[in-house]
Amino acid sequence: MKNRSVLGALCILLGSQALFAQSPTSVSELSKPPVNAWATYHGDFSGRHFSTLKQIDTTNVKGLSLAWIYRVNTSTEGAIVSGTPLPPGPPRRGGGWGATIKSVPLAVDGVLYFSTPGNAYAVDARTGKEIWHYVWQGRGAIGNRGMGMYKDWLYLETPDNNIVSLDAKTGKERWNKPLAPDKAANFSTSAPVIIRNHVILGVGGDSGRNATWVESRDPDTGDLQWRWYVTPSKGDPGIDTWPNEHASSLGAGGPWQPITYDPELNLIYVTTGNPTPSYNGLGREGINLYTCSVVAMNPDSGKVAWYYQFSPHDTHDWDSTETPVLIDDVIDGKPRKLLATAQRNGYYFLLDRTTGKSIVVKQFLSLANGYKGVDANGVLIPDKDKEPSLGGVLIAPTSDGATNYPAPSYDPDTGLFYFNATAAHSIFYLPPDPTQPTGFGRGIEYHGGLYASELQAIDYKTGNVKWKHEYPQIVGFPNSTFPGMLSTDGGLLFAGDPSGNFIAYDAATGKSLWHAPLGSLISNNPETFMMDGKQYIIVGSGENLFAFYLQ
Amino acid sequence: MIRLLSVLAAVGAVLLVWISISNTPTNLRVVVAAQAGNRAAPPPNAAHNASAPNPSAADKGRDTFVTNCSFCHGSDARGGAEGGPDLTRSALVNGDMTGQQLIAFLKVGRPPRMPPFNLPDAQVAQITAFLRLQIEANANGHGGDPKAILVGDAKQGEAYFNGAGGCSHCHSVTADLKGIGSKYDAIVLQGRIVLPRAQGSYPGFSWNVEPHAGDAPRRVTVTQASGQTIEGQIVTISNYDVSLRDATGALHTFARDGDTPKVVIHDPLQAHIDMIPKLTDTNMHNLTAYLVTVK
Repeated sequence: MKNRSVLGALCILLGSQALFAQSPTSVSELSKPPVNAWATYHGDFSGRHFSTLKQIDTTNVKGLSLAWIYRVNTSTEGAIVSGTPLPPGPPRRGGGWGATIKSVPLAVDGVLYFSTPGNAYAVDARTGKEIWHYVWQGRGAIGNRGMGMYKDWLYLETPDNNIVSLDAKTGKERWNKPLAPDKAANFSTSAPVIIRNHVILGVGGDSGRNATWVESRDPDTGDLQWRWYVTPSKGDPGIDTWPNEHASSLGAGGPWQPITYDPELNLIYVTTGNPTPSYNGLGREGINLYTCSVVAMNPDSGKVAWYYQFSPHDTHDWDSTETPVLIDDVIDGKPRKLLATAQRNGYYFLLDRTTGKSIVVKQFLSLANGYKGVDANGVLIPDKDKEPSLGGVLIAPTSDGATNYPAPSYDPDTGLFYFNATAAHSIFYLPPDPTQPTGFGRGIEYHGGLYASELQAIDYKTGNVKWKHEYPQIVGFPNSTFPGMLSTDGGLLFAGDPSGNFIAYDAATGKSLWHAPLGSLISNNPETFMMDGKQYIIVGSGENLFAFYLQ
Repeated sequence: MIRLLSVLAAVGAVLLVWISISNTPTNLRVVVAAQAGNRAAPPPNAAHNASAPNPSAADKGRDTFVTNCSFCHGSDARGGAEGGPDLTRSALVNGDMTGQQLIAFLKVGRPPRMPPFNLPDAQVAQITAFLRLQIEANANGHGGDPKAILVGDAKQGEAYFNGAGGCSHCHSVTADLKGIGSKYDAIVLQGRIVLPRAQGSYPGFSWNVEPHAGDAPRRVTVTQASGQTIEGQIVTISNYDVSLRDATGALHTFARDGDTPKVVIHDPLQAHIDMIPKLTDTNMHNLTAYLVTVK
């Protein structure tokens, strides 16, 4: 009798769970690896770009075939149009970057929602047919990383610094709010991430004439909840890492990539860009907090818990906006909460994400020469002699980085951390009179050419290389570091090469199992989800979105 | 570029006041920042499309500029401590060849940040000549003098070239490098010393796309299962295919499956790539100082 009542209670419990199925955009759903949806830029809050799906595995991936292709619609015909059109004339800066898909589509209930600068799309995930197209008129931008979703609402940053909320069903605009003046030097390119009732987004810009920040807005009204400026002002912690407030206020450090989040610690992890003037550190002596850092903060208040700086006093444009990947593991019998990232400056970092304490700093680009070593706190020591100079300094990597913002992947099955790495050098110069710096500080970068490009799989605990895959084609930076990655429980790692091939590797060994040349380079991060009993893989390549499955 | 810049938005200084809301829990801040309206990339090539500025007019213009404008815009027009924007990046200045736009602008100014300036048209034209010279200098990066980067010692550079650097194993200043000092600007020469395939840019992105004509493109030898061998310049190569152009200009493409066919890449610049990790800045500077003297 007693047992039956327990069973009954259990049934009610299970029933209520089924009845009130969580939205794929809820905190509890986004705290797990994605299965039936890909509902935020990173797929979940961890930034691991890992899925437990295994319908497609090492034994059958050879049969992976095309489901459909969607080519980005750049016309305004039939579109929902908002924003302010530009005055007639040649396109403004950024127009040429146009329709490249850098965003990661949100896959929710059979619909894919994605964006290019000033454009949002809803596409039928079963057919690749467009459902609606939204256009925000105005200037272009270097890219747009995607949208955030909360209930049936979407959130998009526009190139001219607005946040727009759309009705996911119709694409109709609910409201738009300015983030910064259009004429400000800021860039609004990031993908908002929604945590409970906080739409968390970053505003960047690295012209050397602006501040940048992370902020939280109310998903219903769009009202500002809090804002955290990357560079401090008078009285703020970190102001002593700048010579004066003026330098700090123009010091940028744009947080232009989406955050990751630990629901248990209730901390978001914000990564910040390089200080400005980018190549000229003379007017900003000091380590220039909180640029080139990961900053852990409370999503409800914006209160900072800790920070760790990857590139103190950067003078080489090495943004630290690479994904802060959250890893949970048991080491020496103890559960550990960790944060792993491979950075543009050529180093891999492993931190304790509760405290921000450094665990591993490991050089992954053997050529990297910007630092003299690591201090007692596990922080890199910049080499003064490698700051840009009149006669020029030979530096590796280039400003394009040893790796860059496209997503790495962490696979808990293999314990490996995967990312693309490139070897190249530049000569960095300062002019004869480098005072009164503006913009890039009048520094000059002479790109010296690229000579190696590879996929690295490293043991996340040590940074030691497990396997590498060299790419013989050596071309410009985006070609080598663009493709983001995805690992799955099917034993697979999806990645791309500088020749435009989309590739499935054996995640444990690096053996190439399947590839498809997509006509141009992989330009976003691959994603996966189940629909109608089939595992789909979605990836963007230039202006085309591809869907693959096992037929 | 000129055309594009001339339509870029506003010119001069715009006062922006950002006031964060009062309940901001951290970093409560009031930012008052002078912002240049045009935040486009520096116009590296703008100067090359313009007619050359008149140096004597520019000299006179400099005097007028320093007296009237430098307090806000800096003595070199690249922005000043008082927050005046870098005029070499101004859309108006970049699009204004003769000074006509600046003449009109100065009559009005941009109150309250920038007052009107009542200067004779002829003087404004001279200021324009000076500003055009500054844009040119900005485009060239080093005050218009590429030799400014020469900080090394030519004698030591010569010793390194013939000794420890090992350069003379492959090169001779009386043969392949004859006249190299007058062939390139110092800054380009220094880039090419490190890697002759360098794609230097002033500043910004560069794309090192193969084949790069005349810059020692990589070559490849493909040996098929039959034993037949073909050699040529790499057009494209991945782990799944290779395309090469043979001596007749014909294109050959092969699918690759692991080690079949056998593919061997030859990089004629491998010695340079091997040298890069060992090359100190001092040796690089010395080599450049030496090679610019090679006529």
